[in-house]
Amino acid sequence: MESRKYIGRSARSKEAPRYVTGRGRYVDDLALPRMLHACILRSPYAHARIVAVDGRRAEALPGVKAVVTPEAVKRLSRPFKPGRYAAGLRVPIPEYAGAIDKVRYVGEPVAIVAAETRAGAEDALELIDVEYDPLPSVVSTEEAALPSAPVLYEELGGNVAWEGHVAYGDPDAAFARADRIVRQHLTMHRYSSTPLEPFACLAEAAPERLTIWCNSQSPDVIYEALSEALGIDAVRVIVPDVGGGFGQKIHLIRKYAVLTALLAVEAGRPVKWIEDRSEHMTAGGHSCEQEFDVEAAVTAEGEVLGLKIRDTDDVGGSVSTLTIHFTNKLNNLFNTYKVQHLRLDGRSVLTNKCPVVPNRGIGKPGMCFVWERTMDLVARELGLDAIEVRRSNLVRKEQFPYTTPNGNIHGSGDYEALLDRVLVNVEYAEVRRRQAERRGGSTLLGIGVVIGVEPGGRNAARDMAIFPQSAQMPGSGGVEGATVKIEKNGSVVFTLGSPSCGQSHETTAAQIVADVLGVALERVSAAGTFDSVSSPWGISSSNSGNNFHLYDVGAVHGAATRLRDKVLTLAASVLRADPSLLRIEDGVVIPRGTGPRGPVESVTFAELGKIAYTNQALLPPGFEPGLQATYYHSHPHADPLMLPDMQGRVRAQYTFSSAAHAAVVEVDVETGRVRVVRYVIVSDNGTLINPAVVDGQIYGSAAHGISVALGEGFVYGADGQLLTLTLLDYGKSTTLETPRIEVEHCPVPDPFTTLGQKAAGEGAAIPSPAAIASAVEDALAPFGVEVRELPLSPERVWELIRARA
Amino acid sequence: MTHSIRLTVNGETYEREVEARTLLVHFLREQIGLTGTHVGCVVGECGACSVLVNGALVKACLMLAVQADGCEVTTVEGLSTRGALHPVQQALVDGFALQCGFCTPGFVMAVHALLARTPDPTEEQIREELSSNLCMCTGYVQIIEAVKDAASRLKSWNRGST
Repeated sequence: MESRKYIGRSARSKEAPRYVTGRGRYVDDLALPRMLHACILRSPYAHARIVAVDGRRAEALPGVKAVVTPEAVKRLSRPFKPGRYAAGLRVPIPEYAGAIDKVRYVGEPVAIVAAETRAGAEDALELIDVEYDPLPSVVSTEEAALPSAPVLYEELGGNVAWEGHVAYGDPDAAFARADRIVRQHLTMHRYSSTPLEPFACLAEAAPERLTIWCNSQSPDVIYEALSEALGIDAVRVIVPDVGGGFGQKIHLIRKYAVLTALLAVEAGRPVKWIEDRSEHMTAGGHSCEQEFDVEAAVTAEGEVLGLKIRDTDDVGGSVSTLTIHFTNKLNNLFNTYKVQHLRLDGRSVLTNKCPVVPNRGIGKPGMCFVWERTMDLVARELGLDAIEVRRSNLVRKEQFPYTTPNGNIHGSGDYEALLDRVLVNVEYAEVRRRQAERRGGSTLLGIGVVIGVEPGGRNAARDMAIFPQSAQMPGSGGVEGATVKIEKNGSVVFTLGSPSCGQSHETTAAQIVADVLGVALERVSAAGTFDSVSSPWGISSSNSGNNFHLYDVGAVHGAATRLRDKVLTLAASVLRADPSLLRIEDGVVIPRGTGPRGPVESVTFAELGKIAYTNQALLPPGFEPGLQATYYHSHPHADPLMLPDMQGRVRAQYTFSSAAHAAVVEVDVETGRVRVVRYVIVSDNGTLINPAVVDGQIYGSAAHGISVALGEGFVYGADGQLLTLTLLDYGKSTTLETPRIEVEHCPVPDPFTTLGQKAAGEGAAIPSPAAIASAVEDALAPFGVEVRELPLSPERVWELIRARA
Repeated sequence: MTHSIRLTVNGETYEREVEARTLLVHFLREQIGLTGTHVGCVVGECGACSVLVNGALVKACLMLAVQADGCEVTTVEGLSTRGALHPVQQALVDGFALQCGFCTPGFVMAVHALLARTPDPTEEQIREELSSNLCMCTGYVQIIEAVKDAASRLKSWNRGST
């Protein structure tokens, strides 16, 4: 077992010094000789037939080197293969990187231009002649599902593109024996994670291969897309520093990688394309607007026997991510509760809005919202305390490892302790006292206490639970590698198999390497960022699904362990000692114990490095020269239920962090404005490798969920025009609205992971919308207000009050 | 049609021909290679392109390069000296006050400007002043703590340099 000199310590960030000095290297900072700049012409209509696109006037503009129109996209590229999220389509629908004969949302790419300068490319866009035949558009799922609605994809014959369900236990029987059934209709709006760096691609088509620098979170998606769309197998995907991802940069970005690469091929020169903010807001991907009809079967004591949910997902104007918000609900389908019976019906409806993509929590904030709103409703209808209703339904400490009815295995946890602790930290009784004092005033106090899980480490076979018939298995479990190397001078470098988007992966991985190898952290550094030709990658090599803690940590720990064995073998030979009697301290291999004449001889990493790379005569027989090790990690406890069983049970993810959140809000009854007075989190993320890094992930994801609940979101006009084109209109919280989030850790190590670690990333974005909803509803209890819809913008809160006053 | 401009950036003088429509941020990034100043929105909302122009905090996406003719500009690259981080930078590093780093240069410049004007800011002042810079990663908690730390570091640093 490794020493724990660095693991568990808030070691100083390895990445931060380059970022604070402006020396980060993001795609837009890169330049290649003869590089051209691209710009995209986008649809001004929400729904229209493309009659003709003529790029000749643009091509004639000096400095313009290539114009790719829909005709060229169709001629020069192929549609993407339907991925796992389009597996539910009734008929296959070819989707190209750009619009071909129709546009289905405002901002859909129609043509792309490469010119000597960005400004020149922008000028050229104005010279592209497009003739549209505008069609009626539809922006609500209710209207889109009507037989009379304009149809986005004629092949489907309607806009309800997928319907399906999952059911576990015996929901009907649970409902039959319930004392009471409570019902509500809930809505969660469209939002996004708005990474500050929009999409960025730089492509170069060299004779030996096509190289793309792209700020993708999932290089595998780009790799496959280039091969599917352009038929190019010799592809290299490089992911330099990435200015935030949060899920936004997983799927939709592939369109732009293909379009940029296509231009680079056509122009015979490198091409850079940088998305701008308004492009990102209109067409960079949103979360689904989700509507839930929820019914809960409960006993008179508040035990929830079963839940039935009808989930309608507004998936916008593309079929490529049809079921992504539905299947992600499998990850936290039972939240923290021991309920055994549940049925979830899903419906994905196409509308003339931006396609949907993952972002912070994807689907899971909706699932948590359903559970936590339900707990509050059960308490209200039965006249019980909402916290006690939650408590009585929690999975109990002694039930871990706990298998949920849909097959997830929660390795460890103590949910009740989190709840207890958050009540102490928020000073619950005191908040109630102050709340009572302010009753009748113009600013009312409210408190919401909720609980949730943060699933981590993806199982690639998850979606087979709803598509057991799919001919092609999307993959299963997970694979990811890492390489660790001791250089000739004794310094240590490592290569991870996945990209990072700011989660301090270089720092965290370096701490593990330093501890396993027994070397000072200052001597360990990352070799660079992701490069598909040299990074040891697999299906889990994605900055998504909370994969890092399971796969990267497992891989880098495994590679360092393998290298440590090599170091000890070589050192034993050099020192003529038994390898089992050697220890490593600060990069020096020392025989254990000391002889009567004091410490015996030792050997440094630098000396070993020199031998390993330069001195064959000193290598032991059979020793592979060099000091480098690569290790590919799969979760050793991926079974049972890595593949779905006959009941559709499958492990959606492998680890389950958990947290209780308490929000205290002040609601101005005159203006509807909500101010978050306190926001307290008690979190179990298993073994913490770098506590300050984990804190940062919690603060950031909580702040996002709070901002979403308070009003951040997209608004469309009835004509399908996006009204929130800027961050200001979109309502992103600033330092003024974001509360000072307080975090306490109560870690329970996971029994099945390398170091006992669990996920820490998007977690706090999952329960925080529900926490704010609970708190606002509590504040407005004197009016009898029920919160069933987000966001709680001042206008909505004011309307809720007015409707009851 | 281009215009001649002459300006000082981080102590060095540059003479360049620019188009009238070229933004200061694009001039800095593309014409003189100072890519530390980032573009997050290009409409003055996110603050990633914050720089100092004649000592005042400016969003370089809201200023044309021709408007900077004759000015003294400081970017994030101009703060550290001979490899040593400026106290504001060091405080942000030590306080884990950044994640992806894309907004960070803007915050560095905004904090620098804030502390130059208000050496002992209250948390309220910090929140008010930094509300023009957006960070999507951190939730601002560690940034605000780091600004308080930077304020105290800066005082002893200033004493040391005078």
